[in-house]
Amino acid sequence: MTELIDQLSHFAQTIVQGKEPKTQITNCYANYSQNTAIEVYRNNYRGNLHDALAGAYPVIKLLVGDDFFRMLALKFIEHNPSRSANLHHYGAELPDFVASFEPAQALAYLSDTATLEWACHCAYFANDAPLFNLAQLAQFAPDQHPYLVFDLHPATRIVRSLYPISAIWLAHHPDAEVDFQIDLNSGSCIALVCRRFNKVEVINLSEPEAYWLHQILTETPLGGSTMTTLEHYPDFNLQTTLVKLVEMNVITGVKLGA
Amino acid sequence: MPASKYTFPCVAGIGLRAPHYREVLETLPELGWVEVHSENFFGGGAPLHTLRKVREHYPVSLHGVGMGLASATPLDEKHLSDLSQLCNDIQPVAVSEHLCWNAATGFVINDLLPFPYTREALDHVTRRVTQVQEKLKRQLLVENLSSYISFSQSEMTEGDFLAELTQRSGCGILFDVENLYVNVRNLGVDAEAFIKTIPADAVKEYHLAGFSERDGCLVDTHNHPVYNEVWDLYEHVLKHLGPRPTLIEWDTDIPALPELLNEAAKAQLIIEQCHD
Repeated sequence: MTELIDQLSHFAQTIVQGKEPKTQITNCYANYSQNTAIEVYRNNYRGNLHDALAGAYPVIKLLVGDDFFRMLALKFIEHNPSRSANLHHYGAELPDFVASFEPAQALAYLSDTATLEWACHCAYFANDAPLFNLAQLAQFAPDQHPYLVFDLHPATRIVRSLYPISAIWLAHHPDAEVDFQIDLNSGSCIALVCRRFNKVEVINLSEPEAYWLHQILTETPLGGSTMTTLEHYPDFNLQTTLVKLVEMNVITGVKLGA
Repeated sequence: MPASKYTFPCVAGIGLRAPHYREVLETLPELGWVEVHSENFFGGGAPLHTLRKVREHYPVSLHGVGMGLASATPLDEKHLSDLSQLCNDIQPVAVSEHLCWNAATGFVINDLLPFPYTREALDHVTRRVTQVQEKLKRQLLVENLSSYISFSQSEMTEGDFLAELTQRSGCGILFDVENLYVNVRNLGVDAEAFIKTIPADAVKEYHLAGFSERDGCLVDTHNHPVYNEVWDLYEHVLKHLGPRPTLIEWDTDIPALPELLNEAAKAQLIIEQCHD
């Protein structure tokens, strides 16, 4: 195996890190040079990763334009090799990269929008989960309710931002039907990413709802979650929050906690 | 004769890609079978839901681009388990991967890369194909690669390697005729020798596609109708190895569905002539 490892890793470095190819690769082709062949592989490598990023970040691409996106993607690819054979996993680090990417500094909302978009991308491919309705709570006696722990859909993500990123996403995602003006100074938002009827959706959460859902995400039982939330937000309404999250297919099951 | 959804019909099929999902499901064109890229359906949600609906109407073949059968790193267990889960869900008529590698220590190259055909590599790939087949509890089809370089350390041809691999592991062969043509033109591979080396019994499927050219090098881009030279080679291959389910692959600059179906109809005609 040692020989095979050596040969493949050198070839890999030739493609990814731009190393000079070793003469061990034969060079007796009638129609082109070895450099041409290596360039084909380098192009494939960059092209496949660029396309993966473009597939995962259509809103960012639309916001900055194809040429800027290409430049951004190629710089990102230089510093971030792929770690998965599944191209849908590529690009998780792009939001952080965008935040420190000098040419994008004027677009302060871009990094958070990218975080939201990555959450949507993951939600699209997340595993399926059972459907839930509130009537299922009836199987538990009222005195058990404080000890209930909710299962959340694997697509569920919360993204906070100082910018109205939900509105930006809603106006620019590939299936967006309306184009509307967004006031970038309209303030912060808490975006909830969820998936129902196999469609990824983004809605806004209020501070109390987000606070409560954070507790639930860490499997804190219903009683404790609700109590802590009410201590911070006396206006918190458990009933409407539950209805909203069940309707959005965020809650997918319930069990009695340990 | 309508084929069962669970047997691999010896007719032409198409590579089904996202731009055609809706049209295929709404119009249900007459079509022997479809093939999809396995990785696009890992997980759940809309992709898997769509594929389940497709499966209700057509035999489906799962074609992987990520297993990296020849990679010198350990086999990606998560990837294999995702594929296994998809197989259980979709009940495909065939499952295939490429004779290539894609991973080195610390990073993955999401491409189909060639390697030296050595005895050491043969032992290694045999072990990995066996591992995949044991997990999936079914035969894996392994596809010959289109390549832009060849290694001087190779101790045998790709044809020898595949023939030996099928014998040792019991895997089948997905014979990509366009890949062979690309290798003939790029690397001077002997097509006749390849066809003679491949055991006919092991061949379970053919692929056809178009290529492009970059500075004299043919690149397997799947962005063009099948070229006449490849049709000719396909006819020739069928005379020697017999007809098999045949797929039209088109992955870049994907045309309207009727054009893709028209390419499949051409392949179908050649299959039928071969049966006569």
